[in-house]
Amino acid sequence: MKEIIEMLPESISNEIKKIHPASLQRIEEIRIRVMKRVEVTIVGNPVFLSYVVTYDDSMNLLNELSHYSIYTLEDELKKGYITVRGGHRVGLSGRVITENGRVKAIRDVTSFNIRIAKQKIGIADKYVPFLYEQRWLNTLIIGPPQTGKTTMLRDFARLISSGYKEIDSKKVGIIDERSEIAGCVKGVPQHQLGERVDVLDACPKAEGMMMMIRSMSPDVLVVDEIGTIEDADSVLEAVHAGVQLFVTVHGYKMSELRNRPSLKPLFDANVFDRYMELTRKEGPGTVQQILNKSGQQLLTERSVTT
Amino acid sequence: MIKWVGAILIVIATTWVGFEAAKHLSERTRQIRQLKVALQSLEAEIMYGHTSLIVAAQNISKQTPKPLAWFFEQFAEKLLKGHTSVKVAWEESLQDIWKFTAFKQGEYEVLKQFGETLGQHDRISQQKHIKLTLTHLEREEADAIDRQTRYERMVRSLGVLTGVLLVILLM
Repeated sequence: MKEIIEMLPESISNEIKKIHPASLQRIEEIRIRVMKRVEVTIVGNPVFLSYVVTYDDSMNLLNELSHYSIYTLEDELKKGYITVRGGHRVGLSGRVITENGRVKAIRDVTSFNIRIAKQKIGIADKYVPFLYEQRWLNTLIIGPPQTGKTTMLRDFARLISSGYKEIDSKKVGIIDERSEIAGCVKGVPQHQLGERVDVLDACPKAEGMMMMIRSMSPDVLVVDEIGTIEDADSVLEAVHAGVQLFVTVHGYKMSELRNRPSLKPLFDANVFDRYMELTRKEGPGTVQQILNKSGQQLLTERSVTT
Repeated sequence: MIKWVGAILIVIATTWVGFEAAKHLSERTRQIRQLKVALQSLEAEIMYGHTSLIVAAQNISKQTPKPLAWFFEQFAEKLLKGHTSVKVAWEESLQDIWKFTAFKQGEYEVLKQFGETLGQHDRISQQKHIKLTLTHLEREEADAIDRQTRYERMVRSLGVLTGVLLVILLM
């Protein structure tokens, strides 16, 4: 939180400092829009501050985000978000310039969405017995958006790379296409991920998985949100190479995913040993059930939020 | 005896003034050349190194000789402190070191204009602005060289001769 307040223009940070410290800790998003009031999302509820953002504020913020060098943000302005120190993500929108029909950059950035990254250390601990049998089992984490898939995955990466109780640590390769798992700044992970972690930051998943296997000899590969046919092919390839996988995917149920064309080859080949279904029922990170290869339930309904 | 000592002192003093003025002329061309080199390495840092302005300015301040090195050092420091804009930081550092340089108003205008575009654009247009500034500086450099060849020797001999003239008049 501190690094975010330092980053904001003084006029805005002064307003934010006025928020009660207890709520300050529970901020999920800070939304800054030109000519509008600052919006702060605290535990899902929007709170509006009295300060109206000026155009200069947005320029200052963008300057600060880029260390006064917009030209270093070319890729980020194309993708629409910047990862900053602390692993937080700043989403951007404004006027888009296109070239040959594809987005080239966002020019006049007028909206910022600062998503505060919170690492929840220890949320995966109690599921280890279900996902480890002499080796880490290939696991698919399933859940709709905002159910804590990435947070769960991050904690598994930490567990695997630092070991858990009598389980030895393993080499972990993370392919972090959207800079969310590790939250890298200049390639250095900002989250606590244990010692034996190698991260390919902002790398396309399918290509990244192959690169990792070829060059970094990981024991476990961690990948976020597979979806395309290429992704599925790479996952298959990785499994054949003898690498264990921890993967997330958007969806509600394992039974439903079976019918998705892009993922069909994975189910046909019976790649995954465990399926973990997440919901938001009792807050993000609720594990609805864990299924084994043949779809039998190993665990149902338990909240992980503490 | 005292008269001769005084006479020699006068000649030495005016000669020195003449040499100083001449040095100022040659110093300007030298500093413009250094500035051009500095801007070229800034271009390399931006285009191929993708480095941020702070790091680039720090690197350049290590490579360039004195009055210019101070300028880039100041600039990097001001940006590091934050809560400012590139334009303001650039102009302030320019003013801070101005009296230590041999630059003339022309260079000041060119540099000030350049500061306004710095850090605000993508790489390609950043490069264009640097190229434009370099051509402006080339013009100033040509002017400086012209002045140097025309006046340097004249100013130097003028110094000695004024001294001699004064001595003759006072004798």
